[in-house]
Amino acid sequence: MTTDMLNGKMFTQMVQSGAHHLKNNAKKIDALNVFPVPDGDTGTNMNLSMTSGADEVKKLNSDHVADVASAFAQGLLMGARGNSGVILSQLFRGFARGMNQKASLSAKDLANAFDSGVATAYKAVMKPVEGTILTVAKDAAETAVVESETESDVIVLMEKVVQVAKTSLQRTPDLLPVLKEVGVVDSGGQGLVTIYEGFLAALKGEEVPLQDAEDIDMEEMVNAEHHKIAQDFMDTSAIKYGYCTEFMVRFETDKLKENPFDEEQFRNELSKHGDSLLVVSDDDLVKVHVHAEYPGEVLTLGQYYGSLMNIKIENMRDQHTAIVGDQEQKEKSTEKAEYAIVTVAMGSGVKEMFASLGATVVIEGGQTMNPSTQDIAEAIDASNAVNVLILPNNKNIVMAAEQAAEMAKVNAEVVPTKTIPQGISALLAFHPDAAIGENRASMEGAAKEVKSGQVTYAVRDTQIDTMTIKKGHFMGIADGTIKASNEDKLETTQSLLNEMITEDDEILTILQGEDASDDDVKVIEKYVADNYEDVEIEVHKGNQPIYSFILSVE
Amino acid sequence: MSIELNTNDGQVTITDEVITTIAGGAAVECYGIVGMASKSQIRDGIAEILRKENFSKGVIVRQVDNRLHIDMYIIVSYGTKISEVAHNVQSQVKYMLSKSLGLEVDSVNIYIQGVRVAKD
Repeated sequence: MTTDMLNGKMFTQMVQSGAHHLKNNAKKIDALNVFPVPDGDTGTNMNLSMTSGADEVKKLNSDHVADVASAFAQGLLMGARGNSGVILSQLFRGFARGMNQKASLSAKDLANAFDSGVATAYKAVMKPVEGTILTVAKDAAETAVVESETESDVIVLMEKVVQVAKTSLQRTPDLLPVLKEVGVVDSGGQGLVTIYEGFLAALKGEEVPLQDAEDIDMEEMVNAEHHKIAQDFMDTSAIKYGYCTEFMVRFETDKLKENPFDEEQFRNELSKHGDSLLVVSDDDLVKVHVHAEYPGEVLTLGQYYGSLMNIKIENMRDQHTAIVGDQEQKEKSTEKAEYAIVTVAMGSGVKEMFASLGATVVIEGGQTMNPSTQDIAEAIDASNAVNVLILPNNKNIVMAAEQAAEMAKVNAEVVPTKTIPQGISALLAFHPDAAIGENRASMEGAAKEVKSGQVTYAVRDTQIDTMTIKKGHFMGIADGTIKASNEDKLETTQSLLNEMITEDDEILTILQGEDASDDDVKVIEKYVADNYEDVEIEVHKGNQPIYSFILSVE
Repeated sequence: MSIELNTNDGQVTITDEVITTIAGGAAVECYGIVGMASKSQIRDGIAEILRKENFSKGVIVRQVDNRLHIDMYIIVSYGTKISEVAHNVQSQVKYMLSKSLGLEVDSVNIYIQGVRVAKD
């Protein structure tokens, strides 16, 4: 049979057939629903929307195809339920409009109508998600347009549409990761394919088959059910029905005489014994998947109709415990990290600060106690990472760090930080997604942005430049140069701050050393507040030896 | 304002900014939504569609007696069933917040600030 034109009567039949086919499969489509919200209602929603559309068409009873399509779109719009229902209504709103009021359609007109439907559907969304009903509709329409150039038979065209829609549906897991993870195809896309299949069946003058178990794999539905369950239970003890039970029943004529098989009734009976229920049947077989607490009872129910096959019962509580255990195991596993940061610091507070900012290993050391190349090399090994960045935080350690980096078996680079504040700034500029070279450059840049100051005491009398320093006096050092010296710690700190802070500076960070008291800090804070009102002050207890204060100005 | 969660290992603080970004992101992925709109249209321009970085203007997080309420100001596409689109946004926003933050939201109130008619 060939058909060159599609009239309103035929389209009416297509809609009814599509609605019927969808209704038959609504439960299966529900089971596939994991995106965007795994609430398992896509099939139900699409069915309700579609039924509303089909009812409008029935009421109209016209032979004018564009009028029928408009009534269909109108009914879909009014009855739209859920995301998929709204999308469906948009697809057919555009579809109806694409007919340009024609009384009957050629294959080309039909293809254009599909295309117009897709265009309208895509316009109504800000961020179309591919791998959904939208993608399936788009792929099918694109093919229809191409095919209609050479194909004038409406039935052949619709066959193509169904075929491409199915292939596109099979590809949805590749486009949408959540589908792949669960191992299902998109539920809305499946709904659309089902409708198109109904259309085609009507065009061919076929009755819509009542059950079509082949098209949707039971496996897929089972995966989807398990996915939903897995999300629901964080705690093993929360599982109510402990056994995942799957089996098939091969119908036996003798038994069926006594107990005629009614799928609906069987399902209702099973639902009293558990959840996550899936029942698919044809003339010879029924497949069952159910989570039950007493699998034996469920099997007995099946045996009323025939013999049991392919029985599989799994203890989900054990599995769940194993999964939870696995995850904990994974978290503890010693897989190599992408990045590690090795740094050197002295003083419990300073070390803690580095660790809290993301340093993997903090080696004890600094002025008067430089770690050796060996110490740094061991730290690189201990950090167990592919890329290691080293922050020496002292100019006397930079060399050792560079040697250790050269010796290292992994990618190791040194960011030559010379002071603690530089090290902190560099660490803050670290970006775990950037390449090691990029990181080194941006961290070096960040280290240069900060001005470092240190207040410490002199261990002997010295003369540097024009400054005379007496043993026991305090020295204020800004980025390696001695700027102030006085017998009073606080006065030295204040003069050093005067040297360091300029108009552009906004933040002063003070690391309080072992020998600096809280009162000392208060005096400094007040001094800065009085003299530099725009500067914000942050104080951390560094507990570092040697340096009463480590200052950083940004 | 922010949400505090106490865990065995310490405290987690989630700022409203995080909530608005997730809620806004979930909303714009919903079918039928054209965009987020500003809550105060007169001050910010009539029904101007907000860009991603301004979602917070169209998503208001309110905490009343420890319960969480979210108000969302959206623009929908002409020709969709608006009540259904709004309903989808509500369930998707609730789902995403529960999935990514473990937050149970008491209500998601949708204010339709505009309808955009697409050029055909």
